[in-house]
Amino acid sequence: MFIGKLPEVSRRAFLRRSAQLASLGAASSYALGLAGIGEAAAFSSADGYKALVCVFLLGGNDHNNTLIPYDSTNYAKYRAIRGLASDGSGVGLGRSQLGATVLNPVGGQTLTDDLTYALAPTMPRMKARFDAGKMAPLLNVGPLIAPLTRGQYDSDDTVRYPRPAKLFSHNDQQSTWQSSLPEGAQSGWGGRMADLAQSHNTNAMFTGINASGNAVFLAGENYAPYQVTGSGAVEIWGYDGWLMGSRASGTALKTILGQHDGHVLANDYAQMMARSIEYGGFVNSALDSVSLSTQFEEGNALSEQLNLVARLIAARRALGVKRQVFMVAMGGFDTHDGLPGEHPALLAQLDSALDSFFRATAEIGVADKVTTFTASDFGRTLTSNGDGSDHGWGSHHLILGGAVNGGRFYGTAPHVSIETADQVDQGRLLPSTSVDEYSATLAKWFGVSPSEMPSVSPNIGNFASPDLGFLPSTI
Amino acid sequence: MVDSAGSQRALLCEDFAGDDLPPEASETRGSTMRTAGVSAAALATAACGSEGSGGVFGIGGGSTDGTSPLLETDISKAQAARFVLRASLSATENDISTVENHGYEFWLDRQMDAENAQSAKEFYEAKNFNRIDNDELYFRSWPADAMIWSQLFSGGSGVRKRIALALSEFFVVSTNGVENLIWRSQGMGAYWDALNLHAFGNYRELLEAITLMPVMGTFLNTLGNRKADAETGRVPDENFGREVMQLFSIGLYELNLDGTVKRDGEGNPIETYTNEDVTGISNVFTGYDLDFSQTRIHPNPNSSPWEIPECDVAMLPMTADSNKWRYSRGKDYHAPEEKRFLGTVIPPNTDAKASMRLAMNTLWRHPNVAPFFCNQMIQRLVTSNPSPAYVRRVAQVFEADTNGKRGNLRAVFKAILLDEEALSQTSHTDPRFGKLREPMLRYVQWGRTFDLRSQSGMWEIGGTDHPVWSLGQSPLRSPSVFNFFRPGYSATNSQAAANDMVAPEFQLVNETTVAAYVNFMSQVIRGRGWHSRDVQPRYRDELAIAHDSAKLLDRLDLLLTGYQLTGATREAILPALDSLSVTRDSSEEEKLERIHIAVLLVMASYDYLIQR
Repeated sequence: MFIGKLPEVSRRAFLRRSAQLASLGAASSYALGLAGIGEAAAFSSADGYKALVCVFLLGGNDHNNTLIPYDSTNYAKYRAIRGLASDGSGVGLGRSQLGATVLNPVGGQTLTDDLTYALAPTMPRMKARFDAGKMAPLLNVGPLIAPLTRGQYDSDDTVRYPRPAKLFSHNDQQSTWQSSLPEGAQSGWGGRMADLAQSHNTNAMFTGINASGNAVFLAGENYAPYQVTGSGAVEIWGYDGWLMGSRASGTALKTILGQHDGHVLANDYAQMMARSIEYGGFVNSALDSVSLSTQFEEGNALSEQLNLVARLIAARRALGVKRQVFMVAMGGFDTHDGLPGEHPALLAQLDSALDSFFRATAEIGVADKVTTFTASDFGRTLTSNGDGSDHGWGSHHLILGGAVNGGRFYGTAPHVSIETADQVDQGRLLPSTSVDEYSATLAKWFGVSPSEMPSVSPNIGNFASPDLGFLPSTI
Repeated sequence: MVDSAGSQRALLCEDFAGDDLPPEASETRGSTMRTAGVSAAALATAACGSEGSGGVFGIGGGSTDGTSPLLETDISKAQAARFVLRASLSATENDISTVENHGYEFWLDRQMDAENAQSAKEFYEAKNFNRIDNDELYFRSWPADAMIWSQLFSGGSGVRKRIALALSEFFVVSTNGVENLIWRSQGMGAYWDALNLHAFGNYRELLEAITLMPVMGTFLNTLGNRKADAETGRVPDENFGREVMQLFSIGLYELNLDGTVKRDGEGNPIETYTNEDVTGISNVFTGYDLDFSQTRIHPNPNSSPWEIPECDVAMLPMTADSNKWRYSRGKDYHAPEEKRFLGTVIPPNTDAKASMRLAMNTLWRHPNVAPFFCNQMIQRLVTSNPSPAYVRRVAQVFEADTNGKRGNLRAVFKAILLDEEALSQTSHTDPRFGKLREPMLRYVQWGRTFDLRSQSGMWEIGGTDHPVWSLGQSPLRSPSVFNFFRPGYSATNSQAAANDMVAPEFQLVNETTVAAYVNFMSQVIRGRGWHSRDVQPRYRDELAIAHDSAKLLDRLDLLLTGYQLTGATREAILPALDSLSVTRDSSEEEKLERIHIAVLLVMASYDYLIQR
């Protein structure tokens, strides 16, 4: 049995985190020393597996054309503000397109202004998952430090009424969504969950896996995520073997990649190389034993990533993991231009990829152990700029999985308006639910204990709902 | 708040009262200022009483009288190579000996004077890429890859192109993001040519040229952007308005001249702009569209009703004159409202051209530009973590060159490359100094060093951005306007983070890419693999010494790393080379086998990967 080493714990990060927790007055397992890791976290189901999968929609998904007001009153407002793409007056969808994807909550649910929503017409599979109670939309969620009203937002007193820095900026809001801090943040909430969960995995390295590239979401205070792409890990040809036809060269390559002169950057590169070499072959042999019959759409980058995630989950025992956080990502959502032409196709890819992944988890037998959720830089303006929309703040997101209390909406529906107090001009939504509430709900299901929650979701103490209810509260 | 940067700025602003283009902006490529620029930096630095030894010529001594080229003495071969490898895309023995014998500045000036042998525009013309036929090249992105590889691998001007590539990572436009533009590849060529044209010109001119590029208009949505319409609720697109401030000029937070963040009374950073500033400046970038006034329209070769214009529409600056558009409107779409941003107020009914000039001047004069831009250029060329004093010395040159002119990029880049911190031996041995070589730069350096040639002349290499099968990075193909990596990045648990260092290039480093790079190089070094189907290296000078392992390794050490290989690395490589029996009389194939292995092992070593 392959057993990887725990990543070296950075003393500096450890101290910083302890200090941070102390200042929040939270009971921290870190205060007990490393031996205490995990004791305060409620990862109690001895042999149960759980995974969270973050699907990041890069560029800021246009939530207004993802969940569209359908009842005649609210649709009329939507159309008046957004115009209609089909006649060139704006970017709105036609009401006749929406009939097949109307979301009728199970047992009825009254939303703001008696809103009825339809899902985008290119997302019929998610509509079906909603109807089956496995998918739930979370309405108007976004980064907040504390609850904020429009009046408070308009006041210049940012000390009394703090708000996230650098709103509406791509890279900063990506970072804020993932970490609760603007760009430059060193850890994200996925990584901070991995900090807590890693000691429960035989191979701590695979606690957080990024199938899309590097992002702060999966970086912890002391956990550094593993990255894998495409069909599996990349192994170096000829390493410690026959390199370009020469055995001595393969040996030399091994020697060279194992030594550096102490330069800080050389050391960091060498560390990454060591991880790549140490784990690459192991991951691939674990993946080799997996056979999945679920089909994923070809030519769909998100499907490719989620296919890999499904195969990694199928190989969870070989990989030695019981708790995992994954990140996948899909680009193209910055629809300043060409929204009517491009956005429906993006959502169709999302719909297909999410549904294939859900079916794959069912095939593996872990549908209720895997919760998938979307995130994005920000929502977008309700107004049209001609053929697109601009950067906003709050947005709607989707949560999918066998454990999800689906078939209904969570959060508070915003008015369809560019004047009401739940938006800050041009229909940029002032979030009514915070990312910290979103992350805390996911973290609680994942097994993070209430006392550890502030380390994952640093602002959670400022909000009334540490659990939004879209996942079962019992583990 | 007035600090020294502010007062300098105030002085400069008086020089250019009237909002006309500054005089130097129109004589950016003149030769009169060439040797003076850096000396001015030295003088300005001294005059401002900066800490440190103040000279951009701390090493090598020599004259600082500002008139004659400096004669640095005692430049070693290693120092010369190290300098050339930073300033240029690659090094030749001739470059190195010229620096050794005549000094850093002598060589640098000649390099900066050199024009590119062929522009992107000329490349497309020479290769008949502008034709209108069934190949539909006007819808293709691959000619842009062919163009940039041709530019980077062939022709001289290594310094100009190196700087242009650094600029392409600041004023980012990506071939990936311009698919809505007809003749997108030619548009990327015009963008590349502009970066080269202005590389040693003025920042102010470069910023405006980049702003009006059709590829930029497409990438960040200025193209076709219209004034607000109260009736439909339409408002101007804010994409460019935001990014031009956040990324191309002033950044998010107020900076001191040395690049450190200013703090308010409570110790918080001070934001440079609000969302109202974004909305305000976005009105400036309204009413632009492609200039059809000089083109000819051809029938569609595939008998579609859509007619095809010639490629100049993607290369000429966008225009706000609606008479020059494809369909003349007889009225313009430029916002007539008052435009307010960053303390500038443009009165109602100011036209597009005047608004543009005022907006560009506002950004150009902002006290953040010098430290914001200079810090990132130092990061690209020299070190990820320049000292505040280094940033300040360079920023001062940006603020005022010898002649007191602002934004002289030739002077700025000379100040970056000739700074004492870049050249000193102390830096060279500092375990925190330097940067990770970018994957695309490694590949380009390899190709230039070993005379890579395209068999077809079309440079059919393609994109190299696939993280598994190639480099995870491809020139002019950034994944977004935020470049391949961010200037403040450092990885969790890294030594860099523990030392409060940033390591931007490490945003490209993960378990996949570190392995994929070695595999990619082991293919292309031998002329194998998909990326090598049209290009082959020639190891002519290496073949002549391949029988002598030590000599071969010595040469590669010099040209690829500037003698950065440690004894331990050499000791690991030499036995591998000696294990192959190669004599003077061996076949070329046998000699190449040793050369390939030597090149791969050098380029896989951390001594090579971290450029110091």
